[in-house]
Amino acid sequence: MEKKKQQKTKQARGDARLDFEKALRELEKVASELESGDLGLEESIARFEKGIRLAKYCHDRLDEAERKIEILQKGGEGVEKKQVRVKSETGEIEDDDELQGSLL
Amino acid sequence: MEQKVYTISELTRGIKGILEKNPNLASIWIKGEISNLTLHSSGHIYFTLKDENAVISAVFFKFANRNLGFKLEEGMSVLAFGGVTVFEKRGSYQFNVHQLRLEGIGELQKRIEQLRKKLMGEGIFDRSRKRPIPFLPARLGIVTSPTGAAVRDIIKVALRRCPNIEIIIGPALVQGAAAAESIAAAIRELNRPEWSIDVIIAGRGGGSFEDLMPFNEETVVRAFYNSRVPIISAVGHQIDHPLSDDAADLYAPTPSAAAEIAVPVKTELSGEIDYLVLRCRNSLYASMKSFRARVGNAVERRVFRSPIDLVSGRELLLGDVENRIVSHVREKIKQARAALFSMPDVKMLARGIIRAKDHRYRLALESIEKLSPVSVLKRGYTIAMDCAGGIIRRTADAAPGDLLRLVLYDGELRCTVDSRMKGGVFGKEKTAKD
Repeated sequence: MEKKKQQKTKQARGDARLDFEKALRELEKVASELESGDLGLEESIARFEKGIRLAKYCHDRLDEAERKIEILQKGGEGVEKKQVRVKSETGEIEDDDELQGSLL
Repeated sequence: MEQKVYTISELTRGIKGILEKNPNLASIWIKGEISNLTLHSSGHIYFTLKDENAVISAVFFKFANRNLGFKLEEGMSVLAFGGVTVFEKRGSYQFNVHQLRLEGIGELQKRIEQLRKKLMGEGIFDRSRKRPIPFLPARLGIVTSPTGAAVRDIIKVALRRCPNIEIIIGPALVQGAAAAESIAAAIRELNRPEWSIDVIIAGRGGGSFEDLMPFNEETVVRAFYNSRVPIISAVGHQIDHPLSDDAADLYAPTPSAAAEIAVPVKTELSGEIDYLVLRCRNSLYASMKSFRARVGNAVERRVFRSPIDLVSGRELLLGDVENRIVSHVREKIKQARAALFSMPDVKMLARGIIRAKDHRYRLALESIEKLSPVSVLKRGYTIAMDCAGGIIRRTADAAPGDLLRLVLYDGELRCTVDSRMKGGVFGKEKTAKD
């Protein structure tokens, strides 16, 4: 049950992530509209508020993920995730235990 | 009879002549397995070629091995083209290699071509089914050996571009007999919804033709094809082009290049967002400025025509408008504050709105101030009143000898009317404007 719920939130998050590009394009559109100078004052302010909302959304999406490197390993109950440390400069995986090279 | 005695040099030269001039030993193909491989710093390659019963030394000079295209390894079965030469100083003979090919590669290539035709018939390489790679993946899946160069390159590049990305590695053997099945299994595993992966990079670093063979195996190609998650094939170097490249949604020339395709540069994106916000803000300020200027102009014109009307009749109205604006803005701020506390997520947004509202409020106040009688008076206008406080609008409202109060912005002047003259000093402007 808990797992199912988790999955559902992840799914929703996934959809939201795909909207990042859409939001960014929309923000571009808002900027161009404001720059065109064709809008009334009320409209300009409304458009500006929309732009700020879109920018906030995009920043949230960018900051959403958490840096985490994991490797899948065969365990007692099927495949499990195991977090590993990585040297940023080289990308090398540092792990005390021997890692399995295959899921077979 | 005296026996002819040869020097060693003469004998060796004789042997050299026999071996090197024999058309059966020059310009021939031989087949053997590589051992005692030495890659000399000069660029020349030395090794021995052997079969079950015999060995021959071989030399593969730099100028000849330049265009080899793959890495020689111990135990490789090769076809070598060249001729037998004699090295007089060491009294040895060797095979001078002009060209080298992997044995059996022709067979493998034939098999790959057959598989390509078959899979093409099934539509596995159809361009129409290629999906776009997500613009901003939060979770990247990697299928490769956890100890190889490829996984390091991908992780390094991905973290450099986006430090807060999540990576899940599906470990796989990338060469040898079990590799194909292992790669396919890892791709299938990363496709399971519970890992919620946005894009997969599957591949390995460069190697010999045989090393890359798993990515030409049917089971791997089908795993690429069946991947629900968009998948990038990243095998070997630029020149390598296994079947997995054609079955993937996209292929990259190297694993690092795949990471560059899959992961956007975070600082560039946030910079782009901030730049767009700046553009929005600048245009909004510019249009506010122009609106303010227009309001200012309008006020000025009306004041010019009949300043007194504005001062007297509208004072109450202005107070009312001001009150309404203030209470409206207060209400909005209250709402925004309420939103701020009820939805911590939109704190930034609310602050932005409050700032915008605040700006509008200040703008409104400025306009009001422009309309206020005090500022009109400050500009040099005077209100003339009679002793009862009635406003003198026309010359007819006062007679010579009447006592008048002239209201200035900082006080009043009491004076007496001397005489009366018709015709306004602003007559010219009036006609011009009417």
